[in-house]
This record gives sequence, structure tokens and C-alpha cells, in this order.
Amino acid sequence: MKQPTLARLLITVALTLLGGCGQPSETASVTVYVSEDQVFSEPILKDFEADTGIRVRAIYDTEESKSTGVMNRLIAEKSNPQADVYWANEPIRAEVLKQKGIAAPYDSPNALGIPAAFRDPQDYWTGFSARARVLIVNDRVEDKPRSIRAYVAPHWRGRAVIANPLFGTTTSEVAALFTVWGDDEARQFMAALKANDVGIATSNGESADLVAAGRYDFSLVDSDDAVNRMRQGKPVSLVYPDQAPGGLGTFIVPNAVVLIQGAPHPKAARILVDYLLSRDTERKLAFADCAQIPLHPDVPMPPELKPIDRIRVMPVDYAAVAKKLVEIQPFLKSWAGL
Amino acid sequence: MSKRLTLWLAVLLLLIAGALPVLDMLLRSLFIDGRFTLEAWNGLLADSRQWLLMRNSLLLASLVTLFTFVLGVPLGILLGKTDLPLRRALTLLFTIPLLIPPYIVAVAWSGLLQLLAPGGDIAGAWLFGLPGCVLVLSTVFLPIPLLLTQVLLRSVDPQMEEAGRLATGWRGVLAGITLPLILPGVLLAAVLVFLLALGEFSVPNYLRYAVFPVESFTQFSAFYDFSAATTAALPLAGVALILVLFEALLLHRHGWRLHSAGGGIDFLRIPLGRWHGGLLLAVALAGLLFILLPIGTLTIQSLGSYGEALRRAGGSLANSLLFATGGATLLATVGFLIGYLIQTRSLRSWRAVDTLTLFLLALPGTVIGIGLTGLWNRPLTDIIYATPLIILIGYLARYIALTSRINAAQLAQIPPSMEEAAQIAGAGWYRRIFFIVIPLAWRGLLASWLVGYIFSLRDTGITLLVHPAGAETLPVRILTLMANGSPALIAALCVIMIAATLVPAGLLWAILASHRNKRSGEEVLA
Amino acid sequence: MKVVELKAVSKSLDQVPVLQAIDLAVSAGERLVIFGPSGCGKTTLLRLVAGFLAPDVGSLVIGGELAARDGRSLIPPERRNIGMVFQNLALWPHFSVRGNIEFGLKARGLPRPEREQRVAAMLKLVGLENLARRKPGELSGGQQQRVALARALAPHPDLVLLDEPLSSLDPALNDRMRKEIVRLQETLGFTLIHVTHNREEADEIATRLIGMEQGSIVERPLPANA
Repeated sequence: MKQPTLARLLITVALTLLGGCGQPSETASVTVYVSEDQVFSEPILKDFEADTGIRVRAIYDTEESKSTGVMNRLIAEKSNPQADVYWANEPIRAEVLKQKGIAAPYDSPNALGIPAAFRDPQDYWTGFSARARVLIVNDRVEDKPRSIRAYVAPHWRGRAVIANPLFGTTTSEVAALFTVWGDDEARQFMAALKANDVGIATSNGESADLVAAGRYDFSLVDSDDAVNRMRQGKPVSLVYPDQAPGGLGTFIVPNAVVLIQGAPHPKAARILVDYLLSRDTERKLAFADCAQIPLHPDVPMPPELKPIDRIRVMPVDYAAVAKKLVEIQPFLKSWAGL
Repeated sequence: MSKRLTLWLAVLLLLIAGALPVLDMLLRSLFIDGRFTLEAWNGLLADSRQWLLMRNSLLLASLVTLFTFVLGVPLGILLGKTDLPLRRALTLLFTIPLLIPPYIVAVAWSGLLQLLAPGGDIAGAWLFGLPGCVLVLSTVFLPIPLLLTQVLLRSVDPQMEEAGRLATGWRGVLAGITLPLILPGVLLAAVLVFLLALGEFSVPNYLRYAVFPVESFTQFSAFYDFSAATTAALPLAGVALILVLFEALLLHRHGWRLHSAGGGIDFLRIPLGRWHGGLLLAVALAGLLFILLPIGTLTIQSLGSYGEALRRAGGSLANSLLFATGGATLLATVGFLIGYLIQTRSLRSWRAVDTLTLFLLALPGTVIGIGLTGLWNRPLTDIIYATPLIILIGYLARYIALTSRINAAQLAQIPPSMEEAAQIAGAGWYRRIFFIVIPLAWRGLLASWLVGYIFSLRDTGITLLVHPAGAETLPVRILTLMANGSPALIAALCVIMIAATLVPAGLLWAILASHRNKRSGEEVLA
Repeated sequence: MKVVELKAVSKSLDQVPVLQAIDLAVSAGERLVIFGPSGCGKTTLLRLVAGFLAPDVGSLVIGGELAARDGRSLIPPERRNIGMVFQNLALWPHFSVRGNIEFGLKARGLPRPEREQRVAAMLKLVGLENLARRKPGELSGGQQQRVALARALAPHPDLVLLDEPLSSLDPALNDRMRKEIVRLQETLGFTLIHVTHNREEADEIATRLIGMEQGSIVERPLPANA
């Protein structure tokens, strides 16, 4: 055990020094900052290393609320970028990078087939493998909620729980509602939500657990949270909300990949972007525990998932959502009572 | 000349590593988009939430300081001054929580409470919030007063205690003589605990208690707003500064020399007599409840996941050990020089330097981290920023207060005449340092290396922000895997982390302890 | 009456024999001086009498009561009613002169008026009336010596142990303090055991003089001017 460890140590030092001092070859390595959970993203990047021979040096994000995150590094490093690629777990962050002049446009050949709704019109970011914001419902509930409006229906008073809207995809969805409904209606909805005694959980995962345990009847969570509980055999089912014709639609949160402006290894960076946007990557992420919905048509997927073309998608402009998100932070803070 | 030059170099290094990044952050908060503005500051003052955060931060730090002292000082006496059986093993046991990243203690507790009360409602409500934060941080920082009390007790002239023993029993001597004598040192430990608790981020964040450091991080993560994050950190820095000044004013005046050799006795131990069994039982129970149970739960959870843990984090473990070794060596070396400077007051700036070190300790790692990035991330300095050197600089800035003070305390035990005699004999400064001072002060140097190692190894705040791609440490990897990683995997990684700390720490501890034993002819008597 | 009696007392420290089969009795009012070179066991003898050590073998009787026997201490130091001046004085730096003197009186539970009176008397006796509020660190060597004496004498001990208290003083001051010690002993009438390696000092203070060499008592030490 001792010798391999020592060898590894030396290799690590050598490689980090090498990586810092000069680039031996343009495609020897690629640096990627990752906000998608490491548990899911790391295997993909390992496959990339094995398939291409390009060494990946990655920095992973911690859970959203738990750190400053790699986004801040990208921003702080703007003047002298260290990263080549940013793998965002939602387009909002990619939008922020675009607005701050940190992203570079790249139209990947593999982006072909991904619906325009999940791509930046100027190709500063491209979406892939998505989570849907779905309702996880306990099976003892017979008349299942079909819309997020169920949160404010008197019938469900005190029976619903939602993750703290200050964090994560919940924030994004609330911001999306503000852009779709307009400020007044969205604020009314939030007020009604509170008046209807909604429970507040610390994360989507906790919301899902609370519903699985029967403490609440339903919750708005990420699709992977729901699929996971179902795979664990918990008495829950998954409802795509607002699917009725003319309805609001389900909010979709794709991953997004961004090429960094001034990337030190631009060639390797493009290879990685292409790799992430491939149908193969989408397939792997669909079958992994994160159960993400492929955005390319006809990618194989597990039976719990619904193909993207059969979901009624909430029509949002992610750039507008990104702006709105910053705008409504004070409102959300006071709403959450912090 | 070589003396002043070397000391100035150490100070310069400290300024570059610590003062400059902070200054950089401060300027950034004043110049937004290249214009001078107080916008970020006005925003801070206008926000009533800031007062709530300040109240929470101060409340948490005060409660943690209070608890660690009410428990740590008596425990330090019991384990360091009496003939309690197993006292050394128990000391080691109680020290474990300080050695590992604090959030691991929080993870362990939440695991334990979920085991005791599945569903987690009562346990959750209790742990997640102020009580849980106080519990976790108190167990984490308890070793500081505990260990410091033990060290200070050894510095008390035993004859002063014997003089008291002629008049009264041990209880009276402790209350009237021994404790008042070590009080200044104990207060210093209180200041340290308060500052560390004030700047602690990972635990209140994990347990969802809104305090200033958490707010500072949220500002970064939710708004990507550096100036707001800096201003959010500054009230904290203000409190730290007040404390540091208070400490400088109050304690530096009372620095009496405790030890004077004489009578051929080194140390007096209090015989517990019939209290033996009861006290041992009580202390062992406390150790079982507050340390073994949570860590044991973690270990049980982790079984079966070690294969995956090593596959996922083997490289990070190697990084951790490497960077901690480098960090410890840097911290011990510079800490020795700064400690020497503070003890001998060789430069007029010694007090400013001392204050700066404590100030940096109290600052949230974020501020230093982002400041370091702003300062060092240039094409010309990629050799530092794009390599682990940047991490070492961060460690140096953050933890130099600890190692410089340990060395200063050790150097205080050496009569100045030792170095003076060598000087008269014609030895230059380097010769005096290497052949006279270091041989006499090696225990302090070694202890500071150990402390530097432990704090470098458990650091998350700075490492998270500045580590180069592909060079993350184990605590960072644990944090990133905590996003949707299985609890068993996280538990296994935490246990590996504990082992990585305990093995080297245990070895060095054994060296220090065995040398202490040889020196002292201890006496136990009624 | 005998104030202290050691019977066949032996003591080793770190496996090195320090005292060997000591028999010694001290009568009330005596000024016994133990004279001997450094390392002969004088200090260990005093620490044994004070109760900081117990004899490995033999017994110790203080004031007619068995205080220690065969490795066990039966009366703790604070109940032996002994005053002691340590070689390095061991004044408590955090107390004032008054505090140092008063500590033992408080520990013995003396009521406040009596304490005040006792402290005042002691200060007067050693000539430090004006320095009561000073800290030990602010006093000269001779003044510190007097504080240590006053502290030892304040609780009116039956027995006073002086462990080379004058060794660090210059000859003139040493000379003055010797006379002071004799005067105080004659005024207060306590029993004194004084340990020194200074023969002149020994001769001047002693009503009885014994020698000590390598852990044993030599009843008749060599005359001073031999």
C-alpha cells in the first residue's frame, strides 16, 4: 500500500506542476469546473479520459447552499482563466457567465437535435440531460394533484411541503414563475402558498423524504429526487404538473455546458463540450441515479422517465429567468423569514 | 543584521500572504466597476438582517466559549493535574473532534440522532439550529481549553502550590493559587475559541443556523457579489479586531513568569483518593457519549463503502497528506520566526504583527480565498496560483496565529541569558538560533508543526476556493461528494479523514509525551 | 515535648536513596540548624516534615501525632500547622503583599477583623507596613524575603521550616536577615528548623546544630573555622 501511495503523491505533484508551468500539448489535458453533482459527473469525465486520452482536471461544486462554488472562481478568475469548460447543472448559471463576459460562443456539432428552447440563441451555452420539476406524491393520496396550483388550494392546506426557495432549482422555478406570470400574480401565489401552511424543507431531497415518509402528501422536487425514491421502493409516484392542454407546463432544468472565454486549452475544451453533448452521455445520465431526461430525440432511457417531446414544457426564457432571479432575492429572503 | 533581515522577511511573507489579499478585498468593496462607491457598505448598514446575523454570530460564539470553558478547564485539571487513571488516553479521546473538519462532527451527530430517532423529526429539530451548533462546536473546540490548561498547569512553579498546601487542601490551592496563575493563559484560549467559533462556517451552514460567515458565503453563491460578501464579512472582522485589542491590552500586562526551577521538583499531581472511581466513570461516560458514540455511528454507517471511498478519493487523500505536510512545515518555520519576533520584540512592529495574525485567524476563509485569487491569478504568477503553492499561502495566512503563539510560549520558557551567552561567545544569529535556541525550543517547534499539520489537513474554507483543478484535498472532496453522495460513502470518507489525521498526530504526540515523561520526576502525595 | 520526631526514616527519589535511616527529634522552642552541602538531602528532609513527601520506611510524628509512616502520609500538610519559607520564596505573583500573608489566614477560617489585625502585626514585625499593596514583583530581594517570612509566620505555626531562604542575598543583607530570624523566633517562640550550607549563618542562628552528609545525620559537624 505504501509504495503506490508515494508514487501517486509524486505523480500528483509532477502533474500539477506540469499543468501550471506550461502546456506540453494542446490536447494533453482539459480543465473543467463542474456544478453537476460530483457523484454523477465524475464517472462521465472518467469515461471521457478513457475514450479520448485527454486528462481531465476538475473542480467540483459543493451542494448549492454549502459553498461559494465554482461559479465564483470562474468570476474571480475572469482576468486569467484557469478553466476551459464549465458544466453547469442549470442554465441560469450559464446565463450569468454569458452576461459577465466569461463564456465564449461555440456551436457544437453534437448540439444538433437539441430543441432550441434549451440552447442559447448565440451558442454561449447548450443544454443537455435535464431534470424536470415534478410533483412527488404519496401513494395513499387518491386524487393526485395535477398542477402546482394545488399548493394554494384549500383542500391541500398544511399537506404540502417545498424546499427553501432561497436555494437551488426551487429558486429558479420561482423566478421562472415570475417571468411567466408577471410579478403581481407570482407574488400573490407565494403569499397564498404561505397562507396555506406550506412546509419548508432544507432541500428537495428532504422534501422527497418527507413525502415518502407520509409526513406530507406532495412536494415539488427535481425528477431525480422522485425517481430515486421510487427506485428505493418508497410508496410514492411522480406527476408531471400542469400538463393539461393550454396549461402552464412543467419547468425543465437542463444541464448546460459553457466554453470559457480565453480557455487555456481551447481545442481540448471543444472535444469535451462535444463529448458532454453527445447522445451517449445523455443515455448514461438517464440510466444513472440522477435519472436525467435526454434532450436529443430517441435516446434510450429508463421506463420511469418520459421523453422530452411528450412533456408539456413551461415556455421560459432562461436569460430572463436569470435576471429575475437576482431581482427577487430580497423578496424571497423576507418570504422565507430570514 | 541577518536577524533583522530574516525576521523582516518572515513579516513580509505574512503581509503578502495575509494582509494584501484582505486589503484587496476591501478595495474591491469600495470600487465597484472602477468607481469609488459606498454602495455595498450602505446596503450593509441599511439591512436589518445584519443585526440578526450579528446577534446570532455573537450568541453562538459566546455560548461555545462558555461551554468549552466551563467544561474544558475542569477537565483539563482532572486529566492534566490529577492521578486519574487513563488520563492520557482520555485526553487523546477528547482531542479527536478538534483534529477533524468540524462538519464531520456535525455529520456524525446527525447520523447518531437519526439512528436514535428514525424519521428524524425531534432529533432534527433539535440538532438543526442553535442547540446543535453549540453542541457540535463545543465538542470541536473543547480540546483548546483542555489542552491549554494542561500545558499551563505544567508551567506553574510547584513550590507556589506547596506554599499554599501548607495552609489549605488542594481545592483551596487550585482556587486560590493555581487557577489564578494560569488565568491569563486560559483567557487567551477563550479568545481563540471565540474567534474560531465566530469564523466557523461549515457547521452552522450544515445545521442551518444563520450567522455571518454563512451569510458571507451565501452572498457569494447566490449573487456572485464579491463586494457584498466582503462587507458581510467585515462586521465579523470588526468584532475580531476589538477582541484582539482587548486581549493585547489586558493580557500582555499580566504576563508574569510562572516557572522558576528550584527544589528539584517539576510537577505536583493531585491524588483523587476515594473520588477515583466516580470521576473516571463520569469522564469516560462523557467521552463515550460525546465522542465515541457519534464517531462510532459514522464508522458503522461506513462499513462496506471503503472500496468505493478509496477509489473515489485515494488521490485526494494523497493530496491532503502532501499539502498538510507542506503547510505544517511552512507554518512551523514562519511561526517560529514570528513567535521569536513576538517573544523577543526584536522589531518595533511586533505587536502589529501579532495582531495581524489573530485578525487573519478570525476572518472567514472566503475573504482570504477570494482575495488570494484576485491577487495571484495573473499569467505571471501562474506558477503560484495554478499550483498547490496557493493553498500553502492560504494556510500560512489563516493559521499563523496558532503556530506563532505556540512558539512564542515555548521561547518564553528559555531565559534570554542562554542566547546572550552564545552571543558573547561570538556566535552569529543563525548559529545562536540553530545551536542554542532551537535545541532548547524544539518541543514548541514540533508542537507547532503538529498543530499546523492538523489545521491544514482539516481546512475547507480556503482550500475549497483556491485549490487548482485536480488537486483537491480530502475534506474538499467529502464536501463535494456530499451533494447526493450516499451517506455510507460520506461516512467512509469521514472515517478515512479521521484516520489520516490521527495516525501522524498520534505518532508526534507520543514523541512529545515520552520526552516529557523523561524530564519530570512527578510526585503524587496527599 | 518533641515537636517533630523522625524514626528510622529512609526516602529514595527516582530510585536514588536520598535519606537513610534518619532519627531526629526537635524540641519545642528549639532553633535547629541542619548544615550540609548541596544535594545532601536537607531539602528532602524538610519536604518530608512539611508533608509533601512520605517516608518510604520509618515514621514521622508531629506534635505527638503520627503524621506519616512507611510510604503513607496520614496528616496532610495543611493540618500539620507548619510554616515554611522556600528556597526560591515561591511568593504568589498574583497576590499583593497583603494577599500573600492573608491567604493562609483565610484558609484557616479566621474572621476578617482578626485577619486584618494579624496581617498588620506581621507587616509591622517585618517592617513592611508601607508596602502592603505592592505585588511581589515590585519588591527588592530583601523585601521579598520578609514577605515570605511574614507569610510563613502569620498563621502562628508551631513549627517553621526555612529552606536556605538567605542563599540568594548579598552578605550584608544575609547578615541582617539572620538577626531578624533570631529576633522573630525569640519574639514569637515557634520551633525552627533551618537548612543552610552557609556555616556562619548556621552558627549564628542555631541553638542546636547538626550536620548532614549523603543522606545521613552527622551529629557533630566540623567547627566553622577548622
